[in-house]
Amino acid sequence: MTTSPWWRIGWRNLGRNPRRTVLTATGLAFGYWAVVVITGMADGLVADMVRTATGVLSGQVQAHAPTYLPDRTLYATIGGDEGVDVAALLAAVEAEPGVLGAAPRVYAGGLVSSGATTVGVLLLGADPAREESVSRLAAALVDGRLATAGARELLIGRELARQLDVAPGSELVVVAPAADGSLGNDLFTVAGLYASGIAELDARTAVGPIDAIQALLVLGSGRVHEIAIRIADPWSAPFIADSLARRVAAPGAYAIAFRPWTTFRPELVDYANLSSGSMWIVVLIVFAMAIFGVANTLLMTTFERRREFALLLALGATPAGIVRTVLAEAVALGVISILLGVVITVPVLVWWHYDPIDLSRLFGDFTMAGALVRPVLRTDYPVAMFFYAGGALLVTALLAALYPAYRATRVPPADTLAGR
Amino acid sequence: MRPLLACVLGLSLPISAAAQRTPREIVDNVDRVLRGNSSHGKITMEVVTAHWQRRMDLAVWSLGTDYALIRIAAPPKDAGTATLKAGTEIWNYLPRVDRVIKLPSSLMGQAWMGSHFTNDDLVKESRIIEDYDITIGFEGMRQGVPVWEFVLTPKPDAAVIWGRIEEQVRRDNMMPTWARYYDERGTLSRTITFTEFRTLGGRLVPTVMTVVPTDKPDERTVIRYRDLAFDIGLEPSFFSLRQLRSGTE
Repeated sequence: MTTSPWWRIGWRNLGRNPRRTVLTATGLAFGYWAVVVITGMADGLVADMVRTATGVLSGQVQAHAPTYLPDRTLYATIGGDEGVDVAALLAAVEAEPGVLGAAPRVYAGGLVSSGATTVGVLLLGADPAREESVSRLAAALVDGRLATAGARELLIGRELARQLDVAPGSELVVVAPAADGSLGNDLFTVAGLYASGIAELDARTAVGPIDAIQALLVLGSGRVHEIAIRIADPWSAPFIADSLARRVAAPGAYAIAFRPWTTFRPELVDYANLSSGSMWIVVLIVFAMAIFGVANTLLMTTFERRREFALLLALGATPAGIVRTVLAEAVALGVISILLGVVITVPVLVWWHYDPIDLSRLFGDFTMAGALVRPVLRTDYPVAMFFYAGGALLVTALLAALYPAYRATRVPPADTLAGR
Repeated sequence: MRPLLACVLGLSLPISAAAQRTPREIVDNVDRVLRGNSSHGKITMEVVTAHWQRRMDLAVWSLGTDYALIRIAAPPKDAGTATLKAGTEIWNYLPRVDRVIKLPSSLMGQAWMGSHFTNDDLVKESRIIEDYDITIGFEGMRQGVPVWEFVLTPKPDAAVIWGRIEEQVRRDNMMPTWARYYDERGTLSRTITFTEFRTLGGRLVPTVMTVVPTDKPDERTVIRYRDLAFDIGLEPSFFSLRQLRSGTE
């Protein structure tokens, strides 16, 4: 600001009427605040949705045999027909930075039957001890208890239980085509019921201990269809999947495909993109409103300084120099506004991140894109939006200054100085 | 249709007057004569898939087109497992858990006991005459043998899974030699071939029937009749859930 006199003049002009400057800067700062906080809330809602959608069961990264998807055939276990050392594989996956937990699973299409009712379901064999670190199905338990490892027990959705008319303690006949071609069938006891809010899971899935389901399907203990992996930051899933694919799959004799949730739940990515896209509309509206306020202020200040501009012009200043002072004033105002904006935004973001606004008393929970969403407005930290909103604010100030700057150059020096 | 039961029940007597019949009558006749009024047979079913192969010994009873009971006699692991067809319903008995379960209609397309037949094949086989329009696609000599080749096209309102069925029948003995099943896009889905024609239960029947799914040419289900008896006087009451569970022959 010391290099050019125009900058100095512009900066000094802000101090002429500090009250007006502060009011204008505060207005812009609140615009900045609104944009960043609303984006933080939207990001928080999306992150919450992703966390719920992937956290209930799927995990944020999944490992399969390359041939497993999309058909999900019974035989396409990791490592082929021989299977793998599951414990070693889990240890290798969990050694990856950012991975919080990993759990092995087997899947099969089957029937569960009680009395005269038979329903086709997806049978999911899961390791009860390991699932705690990956999925939140246990938290969705509404009746009974979790299944015990090794026992022929099932957790089923509350909706499936209603269809079958069973309760914890009831017996179910479970039938599934086994890997040796026989018809696997056995009696299982309903251990507990869950209500996840995800229709497919609640009505068409039965979860049992992985060893019991493997026995039903005549699969050895080394044969699993999936390793579900939970990671700390959902948005790092693609990078962690890449890293796992390089590090874990390469040394072994078998290939493993690691997929991030962005691949197997593309609709969530679409929603996140839609959400961040719609934030630009908010930016546009907020700053379009601000632009007129700023233009008004600058128009007033330039009008008040007509004599000063006339004098400068009379002394030989070029119109370009005049334009530069006014624009410099606008930029300085913008910078002050941004600083003020950051100062009032950051504490609120932190506050609402740790103590979010809870609207669940007004709305209750709801399901969106197959994911349970709690109407709790926990803000995320929209780092990029800090810069975008700052840029938008500066552009707003500059655009608002264009017309006042033009008017300043049109001041007729002689008439103005003569008081005419 | 024809698949499981028709093969199970044996096929046809030579019919000299066949030449004067309409395609519909011939196909109906091939279909009908095979099963007699009632029948009882012993069958070996061999299933070969990319992942396993197994042999099962089956005992089969049928009455008309509405009733059938199939019980697995071997291997020991599956022995006693039985399927009852009554009308459009299918029930399975599972001796290991001593329970009977009724198959939901949504699972009719599932494989029967791991074979390349579906439960639907059991239920729908009786409806071929009602569900399809039948025309002659070819009539003449194939490899020195006079044959008909019939084209079965589903009627507009028929609830069937096939887009078209083609079936070759030898004119001299009214024996089917193959049937080809096409999906709704007109792609060949599976082929059934009939071979080893012998007299069982007093009738000439193709004693071996082989099903090959087109998309997995290395897989197959082979049904081989070891024993067949026709018109043995079964009553509808025989095809009961109680009989399904009984495990006796």
